[in-house]
Amino acid sequence: MTKKSVLQLCSIILVISLVLTACGGNGNNTNKGNNSPTNAPANSGEVTDTPQPVTISVAYATGDPATKQAIETTIDAFMKANSHITIKNISETTGDSYLDWLKTKDAVGEFPDLVEMRDTKVFVDAGKLAELPEELHSLFEVLPTYEEKYYNAPMTGNAPQGIIYSKKAYADAGITELPKSYDEFIEIQEKLLASGISPIVVGGKDLFHMGFWVNYFLINNVFKDDPDWNSKRTAQTVSFTDANVVQAMTDYKELFSKYVDKGWLSTGDNQTASMLVTGKAAQLYSGPWMLGQIEEADPAFEFGFYALPNRDGSVVINGLPALAGWSLSAEAAKDQDKVEAIKSFINFFFDPAQYGPYLATVNGIPTTAAEVSYETNEQMAEVLKIMADPSIQKSMMINNWFGENAIPPQFRNWFYKLLQELVVNNGDVADYMKQSDTEYDSNVKANQQ
Amino acid sequence: MAATAMGRKKKKWWMNYAIWFILPAFVLYSLFVMVPTFSSIYLSFTSWDGISDNVRYIGFSNFQEIWESPRVHNALKNTMIVAIALVLLENIVALALAILVDQVRWFRNLFRSIFYFPVLMSGIIMGFIWMIILNYNFGVVNQILDMVGLSALKADWLGNPDYALLSIILSTVWKASGYYMIIYLAGLQGIPQDLLEAASIDGAGKWKQFRHITFPLLAGATTVCVMLSMINSLKLFDQIAVMTNGGPGFATETLTYIIYKVAFGEGRQGFGTALAIVLFIIIMIISLIQIRLLRKREVQM
Repeated sequence: MTKKSVLQLCSIILVISLVLTACGGNGNNTNKGNNSPTNAPANSGEVTDTPQPVTISVAYATGDPATKQAIETTIDAFMKANSHITIKNISETTGDSYLDWLKTKDAVGEFPDLVEMRDTKVFVDAGKLAELPEELHSLFEVLPTYEEKYYNAPMTGNAPQGIIYSKKAYADAGITELPKSYDEFIEIQEKLLASGISPIVVGGKDLFHMGFWVNYFLINNVFKDDPDWNSKRTAQTVSFTDANVVQAMTDYKELFSKYVDKGWLSTGDNQTASMLVTGKAAQLYSGPWMLGQIEEADPAFEFGFYALPNRDGSVVINGLPALAGWSLSAEAAKDQDKVEAIKSFINFFFDPAQYGPYLATVNGIPTTAAEVSYETNEQMAEVLKIMADPSIQKSMMINNWFGENAIPPQFRNWFYKLLQELVVNNGDVADYMKQSDTEYDSNVKANQQ
Repeated sequence: MAATAMGRKKKKWWMNYAIWFILPAFVLYSLFVMVPTFSSIYLSFTSWDGISDNVRYIGFSNFQEIWESPRVHNALKNTMIVAIALVLLENIVALALAILVDQVRWFRNLFRSIFYFPVLMSGIIMGFIWMIILNYNFGVVNQILDMVGLSALKADWLGNPDYALLSIILSTVWKASGYYMIIYLAGLQGIPQDLLEAASIDGAGKWKQFRHITFPLLAGATTVCVMLSMINSLKLFDQIAVMTNGGPGFATETLTYIIYKVAFGEGRQGFGTALAIVLFIIIMIISLIQIRLLRKREVQM
């Protein structure tokens, strides 16, 4: 008897849950249904006079305040010029990495229609992105490809990192000439240390900031001679314990143990500018997007920018086009109205009238085929000069390589954390590199499953 | 005969209004807790990346990786350190505060409120505040040390692996103790005064009274508080995510933290789910043991 009632109870629950889930499904469907009909008849029906309102959601990385503000300005101007298009800006500033945030958005079904994409491979493989509409290709000088298809409208060229230094600190330490090799750079650090200032500030609390220095050493010791190193590592024909990698990490460890500000592990990337302008540190190794922040923090602060040379005196910078930029979601690509709206937004965004001021605010490097002129300060002029110099070799960060050379996506953060530990524990470089091999291989294996 | 009895029983089952009261909660709970929980057991045997529709079954590989991974072992160790330290410290501090506000004559309610305030704050906000207080270059703690001439004691409280976990533990104690204080306070006020008076007539000092009367009679409250603080500290997450991001290196990674990082940050939902199942089992085992042990010493008045 009791068995029967339990059974009944269960079946009632089952029925109710089925009904409820059905409701949920319907809700979604009707929503979508409601949206598209209102748009669709407009196209087929009374045509053009007053374009039907379209809403597209947009998201981008808000980590850098200057970029955030510049994009917001462009969006506002665009909506003013196109009253029928509403752009719903769903970007949020979180403590998380942009990728984490985007995945969370996707998990809750709010993946944006137009998105600043930095992990193209991951999302293309998952079928979340559509190809960039053909008509937009001609806007750009070079487009990055993934599996011979174009997905990204690059917002800015890949920006090279360089040393941003306080001119006052250099003068106080008696430094009159910029270094021509890495060894001269180290001599400068000694002088700065002797003058009583923390030579280098690092925002080590944010793992991405670790990437600047780590990749300086990797680029100059490894990728410089072997751009396909990553694919060889995946195939296990090279190792982190090879002499060139060990050399890179030994240099890294020495620099961080001796010349980096003591509080680097609890300093966030957003505190680095104030460390510089308050005179608590003399140098920062970062990209041109910091120039605006520093200027804003203290307009009177005098600083310079230079690309850091390596041991033999040559300069190799992080400057190849990365697989990143505005991308369409596969979902939005199904809706012709949305595609049109996105196309006009991208055209608007890269129009020299908008793109110029945008680049000036974010200190970006133009990617468009059309010439963009905008005001630059002394430091930015140096960045553009470096980028334009054909004698300077361009390379990329370990995690930005794509295609065969892509590393397992989970490896980057683990690796940077391991390198923090290497410095903190004063560990043995060879030993830590052995761990890196093990982790890399197990990541590759796990991802193949 | 049998048919009528059955009929009556059936009628009884339908008429039993308790079922109708339980049903809505039961349905909601099953839908939103039980179903996802059971479906996650399946996910823990897959290599799902959290985005694609392709969910591949890979058997016990995830659990094997958990068993072998030094990062998970380190996180497990940290989780245990945090759990034990928090349970002990939170309960000791809470009990001390409860006795204090129970005995104090003046501003009784003011003190109770003050000790309770941190509980009201969200873990994330609290994390941000402590992060700023403990900052190496701009933080209040180091500036005070500088001011009183103790610069030698200055440390990177959240950036030095020796102090990072300790800083998180202490700030969490600061936040959570007020809550357990309230439970202990309720327990303290349930202790009959005549017992304490009798003891003091018999010549028992304050400490003896506490040891032989107050503490044993608080056993009920202790069970609840230790249970709650154990569960809360095993699932501690927001403070760590905000204050140290699991760093420096791997120094403050706990199981909850890597579950989140692995599942959402590294695109390995399957592996993350497997870790979550492991954490679930650990919490269950610890809780069961705890209840057994603590129930034993409870007394009925």
